[in-house]
Amino acid sequence: MKSRFLSVLLAGAMAVSLSACGAAPAAPAAGTGSETTEATDEGASEEASEEASEEASDSSAPAAGGAGEVRLLNGKPEIDQQLQDLAKLYNEETGNTLIVETIGGDTNASDELKKMYQADNMPDIFVIEANQADTWDGMLADLAGEAWTDKTGFELINASMGTIGFPYTVEATALGYNADVLKAAGVDPASLTSPSAYADAFKTLDEKKGELGITAVLGWCAEPANLGWSSGTHVFAQYLDAGLKADDTTYIDLLNDGGKVDEKRMKDFAEFIGMMNQYSDPELLVDGTYDQQVAGFKDGKYAFITQGNWCVTSPDDVSFECGFAPYAFEDGIDTIIAGPPSYWVAYSEGNVDGAKEFFNWCSGDSAQNILVNQAGLVSPFDDCKYEAVNPFYKSMKSYIDAGKYSGWHTMLKKDGLQNVTCQVFADYAQGKLDADGFASTMAQVIQSYYAN
Amino acid sequence: MGEFSVMRKTASFGCLIAGLVLMIWGLAMAIGKTGNTLRGGALVVGAVLFFAGLYLFPTFKHHRTIVNIIFLFPLLFAFAVTVIIPLVLGIGYSFTDWNGIKMKGFVGMANYTRMFKQPGFIWSILITFLFVVFNIILVNLVAFLLALLCTSKIKGLGFFRAAYFLPNLIGGIVLGYIWQFIFSNVITKFTTALFDARYSMLSETKTAFIGIVIVYIWQYAGYIMLIYITGLNTIPGDVLEASSIDGANATQTLFNIKIPMIAPTITICTFLTLTSAFKQFDVNLALTNGTGSVADFMGNYLTNGTEMLALNIYSTAVINNEYAFGEAKAVLFFIILAVVSIVQVRISNKREVEL
Repeated sequence: MKSRFLSVLLAGAMAVSLSACGAAPAAPAAGTGSETTEATDEGASEEASEEASEEASDSSAPAAGGAGEVRLLNGKPEIDQQLQDLAKLYNEETGNTLIVETIGGDTNASDELKKMYQADNMPDIFVIEANQADTWDGMLADLAGEAWTDKTGFELINASMGTIGFPYTVEATALGYNADVLKAAGVDPASLTSPSAYADAFKTLDEKKGELGITAVLGWCAEPANLGWSSGTHVFAQYLDAGLKADDTTYIDLLNDGGKVDEKRMKDFAEFIGMMNQYSDPELLVDGTYDQQVAGFKDGKYAFITQGNWCVTSPDDVSFECGFAPYAFEDGIDTIIAGPPSYWVAYSEGNVDGAKEFFNWCSGDSAQNILVNQAGLVSPFDDCKYEAVNPFYKSMKSYIDAGKYSGWHTMLKKDGLQNVTCQVFADYAQGKLDADGFASTMAQVIQSYYAN
Repeated sequence: MGEFSVMRKTASFGCLIAGLVLMIWGLAMAIGKTGNTLRGGALVVGAVLFFAGLYLFPTFKHHRTIVNIIFLFPLLFAFAVTVIIPLVLGIGYSFTDWNGIKMKGFVGMANYTRMFKQPGFIWSILITFLFVVFNIILVNLVAFLLALLCTSKIKGLGFFRAAYFLPNLIGGIVLGYIWQFIFSNVITKFTTALFDARYSMLSETKTAFIGIVIVYIWQYAGYIMLIYITGLNTIPGDVLEASSIDGANATQTLFNIKIPMIAPTITICTFLTLTSAFKQFDVNLALTNGTGSVADFMGNYLTNGTEMLALNIYSTAVINNEYAFGEAKAVLFFIILAVVSIVQVRISNKREVEL
């Protein structure tokens, strides 16, 4: 009798565990959020979604939650809180629901998206970089003709899918400078449009280091393991785009044609990087970290920094004026790289109407207010009346208004190329390569990366 | 045999059929993406009914086997879902051009031939083997010496054991970042002062490799030490006593008594260090992320000087966005690991008998 009781108990336990296993796959279909959901006010958003689905019950509802419910996958963890506020405001103003999920830190969004795609749990709006459009070929909605597209020149246009990307921010990269230090040293940043002008400026600054209170002229770091994205993607971007018009794709086309490199341009670029290596803080150059680099610039230890407007986001961070100077490795280069490094796109099998509605609202006044004034982003929209708080904004805007900006074509290079090129920058910084060695090695590693 | 009541037979077959129907219905709804609310329930109830039917199945001869199967099923199911199916799927994917999202078609052996044309990948295989050789010897040596220390009669034994084991409790990624700081910010202070070598050892391929070996030993020796301690403690006291009466000194006791007596432990430990060193990933990722240059390898300038196999597979799939190619490399990795492990266990077993 006892053993029978025991066997019944065991069988019961097994049945329970089985049903526990069996119930799990059904959950993502019924629920709305994945593990990464970070809705601040879940109760409120659930109620809101119910309201929204009641209100919109007559229109067609492709997504599980209702017509007005849109899920957005955000790739910038630093603005998660602001996007949650944005979602709240969207709900207040339109009654529609926006659910923001944030991926960040060491997990990148494209990797997480693949998992979501395999699990049939795709968000309606997600973030992509320009070169990832081909990965999603045929799966992104064409947003052409939407009202917001008339207000910006920064949308992402794909040959086969049309207008697919909504620009949510504009970022710029060039040589960021500390205007106060340059002024004290008598260097006019507007004159920095040729290698010789830079050579003179760097020399002057280097000689007056003690007087100016700086430790080094440049905060340039070529450490490859953690900062490879900076050298391999952003600094390398200057080779691809510096001095070119925003829609000029000469060097990226050459690169994507089997990894070809323009010898003359690469050589000039190498000479300029060599100069940067020479004048950079040696403590930072080979073994530094991003934090060290940015902290050094914020403390006024460096006159220049090789980052973009993201490194100093709030005026409270710095006590001096900031600006951008072009990487003038050839005479007459006078552009900075500016544009959206990544875009929001609408998944064509998701709630496209909801996404379109959100994009139109998002380009409007109240949404831009949050994105610009709270999230510290730079608006890509012409009619945005808010001045970004970013200390680099004034300089950025002057370049953009003058049409002196180049594109982020570096995002179109073959996936993973930055991990190869960053090592060449590091070797050059360590002195293992000279300028010619840098140019030829760069050409060789790029070519073999494209070949394999 | 006719000893079963009609009731029992009906219950059994009824349950079996109802269970199967429910499960198929549930699966059909899942595949056809209809009926979101019912499909999970249908599947679970179906499975339970099916097993109830199987349990009641009118047979004496096979009843015990059926019960065994029912009890083994949860484990086998979990094993299949987490190990067998992914393995088979992975091998399947390695013959395609899957990029994590779409699969355009089968490419046959192209991924397999392509990987051997990649100097960077061949370099990864070579340094992985080198790393394994270094680690099997050094980890076991260090761990064995620590174990001898921790089985001797020194004071504060508990503290030492805990201290040596502690690094093993820290995750590899965290450990990698800690040591990265030590190598680039602490050790450089000394090297700058002593040799005027300003750059950290992580910036040079050879020294970075040594750096990974050091961190790995630091992490893993404590764990292997615990196993050696257990082994050393199982040596019967009378054998040691007899040897000391016969006048064996410490060295003789060590080489002629202790080491032969713990041969099975040595087998386990070499096996553990071998497989785990092969699969080295987290410290590699956090410490160097595979960076480091090799000036001339097979006529190429390599930029992945410290990238070991597992990390190479990861970056191929995730960073370079070539999932199928990464899968092909992973299949090769699996084969290498399986062959090496089998050979190693065979050899060790033979030696155990001889000793």
